Amino acid sequence: MGGFAKRHRAGTLGVVAALFAACLIAHDGLAYTAAGDRLFPATGILPQISPGDEFYTWGGTTPLAGGGAGARNRTSNFGAVWDKMITERLGIQVEDAWNRLDRRGATALNGFQNFETELKYLAIDDQLHEFLLTLGLNREWGGTGARRIGAARSGAFEPRLYFGKGLGDLDIGYWRPLAVTGQAGYQIGDTTTRPDLVTAGAVLEYSIPYLQSKVQSFDLPEIVRAMTPLTEVALTTPAGRSFGARTTVMVAPGVSYAGPGWEFLVEALLPATRATGALAGVRAQLHLSLDFLFPDTIGRPLFSER
Amino acid sequence: MRLGTLSLGLRFWLAALTILLLFPGVVAAAPAGTVVGLNGECFVESGGARSPLKLGQAVQVSDTVDVPASGKLKLRMSDGSVISVAAGSRMTISTYGVNAAGQRENAHLALGQGLLRAVVAPGDRPGSFEVDTAVGAAAVRSTDWFVEVSGGAMQVGVLTGSVDMSSRATGRRITIPAHWGARLEAGRDPVPPRTWSQAEFDAVIARTNVQ
Repeated sequence: MGGFAKRHRAGTLGVVAALFAACLIAHDGLAYTAAGDRLFPATGILPQISPGDEFYTWGGTTPLAGGGAGARNRTSNFGAVWDKMITERLGIQVEDAWNRLDRRGATALNGFQNFETELKYLAIDDQLHEFLLTLGLNREWGGTGARRIGAARSGAFEPRLYFGKGLGDLDIGYWRPLAVTGQAGYQIGDTTTRPDLVTAGAVLEYSIPYLQSKVQSFDLPEIVRAMTPLTEVALTTPAGRSFGARTTVMVAPGVSYAGPGWEFLVEALLPATRATGALAGVRAQLHLSLDFLFPDTIGRPLFSER
Repeated sequence: MRLGTLSLGLRFWLAALTILLLFPGVVAAAPAGTVVGLNGECFVESGGARSPLKLGQAVQVSDTVDVPASGKLKLRMSDGSVISVAAGSRMTISTYGVNAAGQRENAHLALGQGLLRAVVAPGDRPGSFEVDTAVGAAAVRSTDWFVEVSGGAMQVGVLTGSVDMSSRATGRRITIPAHWGARLEAGRDPVPPRTWSQAEFDAVIARTNVQ
């Protein structure tokens, strides 16, 4: 246990040092929620790749493979995130979610997941190359959720790295609206009984608003003009002792539809490993850009000259 | 009735009407604005003649102001709006109408190239202040904002209020709120708006700041 605590402290200090170093090396970018004319739509099963003033909420449901009486046959999840900018580059996020587990021939189990917070710092924002890089430190607060739906008693820290890259700066014609975003993290459990996890994810997206405004404007139907088809892939795998945890991979193809200050995302949830599940589910998310809707009040960074 | 029997008052109105019919430019000559700030040498093109601008000089509807690379210009318009024109800009006052109360009814500026900042006084109807460019138009009611034309594209940044920007080619329109900005490229839809950083605003403020 002493070794673990030492390792944990060293890891946390390393993350703090890395964040501090990033603050020092970050150059003076010109925007902070988009990379130039490239707007990355809000992701669904993966966290957002940069800090922002935003609120989003989602609901999703996935059937589970059969089993006898009392076996879980459906999981449903509803959650919300509030992101708040502290400065023009530093933001904090709070997140909570409510789960319901339906059981065959038995009453459903329900309750909240563990409460989560995350600090995010936008370290690089290269407008010309449509590239951004964000450092994050996520904290899952152990024991704040309901154990009956699987919330862990112990918490975890997770340093994360996010990136987004649009291909608009390349001479590739109608492929320029393509963009790739991603995330990688290492979740460090507070106790030895909670496995450490490697987390990773990637999104491939094709922005029709970008096509219309930066490549060529086609006479498309209104509803299509605001769409961004995308596919997310999220992975977790245990690092070191697994304590029964297995690799999970979820693939989520979907479509984001953007209006002024809001986005709506609907995705299919396709488990890609046995540990992830066996049947397809669905997820929908409404995302509000508070800095667009309330630019002079709750949409402003707490400390900013603006 | 012989002319000689006309009353003095009637004679005056007939004379005024004759002048209005013969010289309509006299009516349009009410100043659209006045030069209140000047850095370097700036010019006005009026009626085919080009002349240097001076502090306090009036500018009229249909005048074009030309601000060379070494200059900056600030105009106070007849409705109280203030327009700061950055170096390397060329702007025409297409229309500038105010009512008897001094409120703007209709203002159209044409920005050929360069950057301007407009602190727009409240008008009596939405969109009564508009800046046209080769690729699109930006319309406001009351706000502090920037518009720049460069390389076949325009971009708008909004400090306060909101601005509607529309594409001349596709007719698509977006609304840009305070602290946000957006670009428009020739022949395309407007790029969805994004937040502008303080550094971006500082850059355009510095370029339009007339000492």
